[in-house]
Amino acid sequence: MMAMELKRVTQGTYEFIMKPIAIASCFEIVALLWTFPLQHVIAYPFVFLFFGAVMASAWFGGYMAGIMSVIMSGFLVTYFFIPPFFSMSVAKDSQSFLTAFLVCAIAITIVSSARRRSEGAVRQARDLLEERVRERTAELESSNREILESERQLRILTEAIPQQIWRADASGKIEYCNQHLRSYLGNTSEALGDSFFGLIHPEDETLYRQGWESALATGSGFDIEARVRGADGTYRWFLSRAIPQHTEEGKIARWYGIHIDIEKQHRAQQGLMSAQDNLARLSRTLSMAEMAASIAHELNQPLTAVVTHAYACREWLNSTPANVERATTTADKIVQESTRASAVVKRVRALFRKDQDGPLRESADINQLIRDLVRLLREDAIRREVSIRLELANDLAKVEIDPIQIQQVLLNLANNGMEAMADTPAHRELTISTHNHSAREILVSVADTGCGVPGDVIDKVFDPFFTTKPRGTGMGLALCRTIVEEHDGHIWVSNLPGGGAVFQFTLKAQA
Amino acid sequence: MNSGSGVGIHENETVFIVDDDASIGEGLRNLLESVGVNAEHYESAEAFRERWDRTRAGCLLLDARLPGMSGVDLQGELIASGIGIPVIFMTAHGDMPMVRKVLKAGAVEFLIKPFQKEELLQAVKHAFTFDRERRKEEAIQESIQARVKTLSEREREVLSMVTAGLLNKQIAAQLNLSEVTVKLHRRHVMEKMKAESLADLVKMCERIRLDSWKAPDNGR
Repeated sequence: MMAMELKRVTQGTYEFIMKPIAIASCFEIVALLWTFPLQHVIAYPFVFLFFGAVMASAWFGGYMAGIMSVIMSGFLVTYFFIPPFFSMSVAKDSQSFLTAFLVCAIAITIVSSARRRSEGAVRQARDLLEERVRERTAELESSNREILESERQLRILTEAIPQQIWRADASGKIEYCNQHLRSYLGNTSEALGDSFFGLIHPEDETLYRQGWESALATGSGFDIEARVRGADGTYRWFLSRAIPQHTEEGKIARWYGIHIDIEKQHRAQQGLMSAQDNLARLSRTLSMAEMAASIAHELNQPLTAVVTHAYACREWLNSTPANVERATTTADKIVQESTRASAVVKRVRALFRKDQDGPLRESADINQLIRDLVRLLREDAIRREVSIRLELANDLAKVEIDPIQIQQVLLNLANNGMEAMADTPAHRELTISTHNHSAREILVSVADTGCGVPGDVIDKVFDPFFTTKPRGTGMGLALCRTIVEEHDGHIWVSNLPGGGAVFQFTLKAQA
Repeated sequence: MNSGSGVGIHENETVFIVDDDASIGEGLRNLLESVGVNAEHYESAEAFRERWDRTRAGCLLLDARLPGMSGVDLQGELIASGIGIPVIFMTAHGDMPMVRKVLKAGAVEFLIKPFQKEELLQAVKHAFTFDRERRKEEAIQESIQARVKTLSEREREVLSMVTAGLLNKQIAAQLNLSEVTVKLHRRHVMEKMKAESLADLVKMCERIRLDSWKAPDNGR
């Protein structure tokens, strides 16, 4: 404690006494030594040199050194240069000069030391500023480094995620694709632009483009399934999802999207669907078979009775003598049993015709019916790799129909068409078109690019129980004809010159 | 009526029709009657079981599918209770496993409805012939049984030993009798059984499945 005190005192002494004295003495001695030779050349040269010494002392040593220098200068000037020389006394006529000298020297001290201080303050301030600037620069640099690092991390993340990620600008131009997407597409540039649409399966492209455009227009999210062609030329199913990023004003800044590979799920779903399809077909066939068996039994009973009675009747008449009485009662039995058989037939017909109050007829737009149907058929068509083309007349007349029955006809024809193309290697296209056939009729055509209908059976295809399919019931087209004819229309089939068949039917236009 | 005998059918033989469909039953009865065959119609297997007398001659014309007890079940029950009346099956459905099953169980014929008159008559004729033979056999068996019943205890013992192939000497030893006594018993058996030879006697015993004598175990 004492030592510290002592040290501080010593420090103070050095700082405020020793150092100013040393500085002042140095400059005074220099001034004095230069003044001796110079006093013979210039009148009163000491003034400038001593002023210089005071100024320098105050500058380098501060206020204290300045004062010391003034005092020393006073003594030195009085001793050496003010008459009488080499004494501390001052001649009368030199007193005013000494006074002026001292005043000037003090002023110089004050000015010089103040100047020095302000200069120091400025320097200090500048140093401080520089220090601050350095600090801020360092901070900025480190935060920049952090940003870069986090960006790098983020990019690594987007590259490492096993999904295809992309970013597009507000107009939908793709600016960035991650490595997975690039390598899937076999494209090396990050910005794809518009060329991405070219990689979508032609059958999905329209839907995809529409979805994308409507997402761009409305700013809502985008979520669609489509097949995308990979670098190896094969298509895989992807779930394409995108969400927009909005600016503060609510405008779309950019789009972020992801492509999820759903090929496997799609395959599984297709497998499931075809299993369901088979099941439905099987149950349909089974119920048909069961119904047929029960109808057959119902009919067989009276027929057996009729046959046995008829045999008996002949025997009664053939016997000698003819037993006319038994023959007559037997003939009555035959009539009775035949009536019973015909009642069975009537009952079966009633079973199939549910509309007891006359056929249902309501005004309908066939084009709309077809569009609804195509939506139902889409999955089926994809599975069978058939593309469906619609050529619907805009000014098509309305018709009065039972919409469910007509849809059944269209469904049967479309299914037949798609089945006919099962063995067609390429270009499986089903075209459904509508025309105004005449002033009173419209024409609906369902054309396929399949194998066509063989010439020897073309007249039979609408017959009941006629089928060329191994599992067909032979009822589909027969039912179509029944329905169309109940609507006062006609149905026919012809082969197309380029291969394939076209089924056409007419319906009465609404008056 | 008309020429029943022409088809080779006897007056006392009847076709018992079992079919739930009254009109078919009636039709069949009408047809059979028109060719001079007696026929009766039963509406169900249960009705047949209740009303039918097992001594009656003829055959059964049975619908395989019947409500309640099915034709196949009825056939099984008849076999189980030792009634050998021949069965003609008929059905509207040619159900192959069932056809095989009933034919294996001894059905005479299987007809698919509706059937030709000739098919039916052929089957009926065949069944009647079968039934006649069956009944003849049954009658013979019954008369043999009746003859066996007239034998005394000792005579029955001698019978079983004779059919087992034992000599008079052996029989005498087994029964502790003199050979002369055995010979006497043997003559009585032959007389009572109306057998002309030993072979005849053995055949009769086989027909009614009468157990022949077995040698006691050597240990005794």
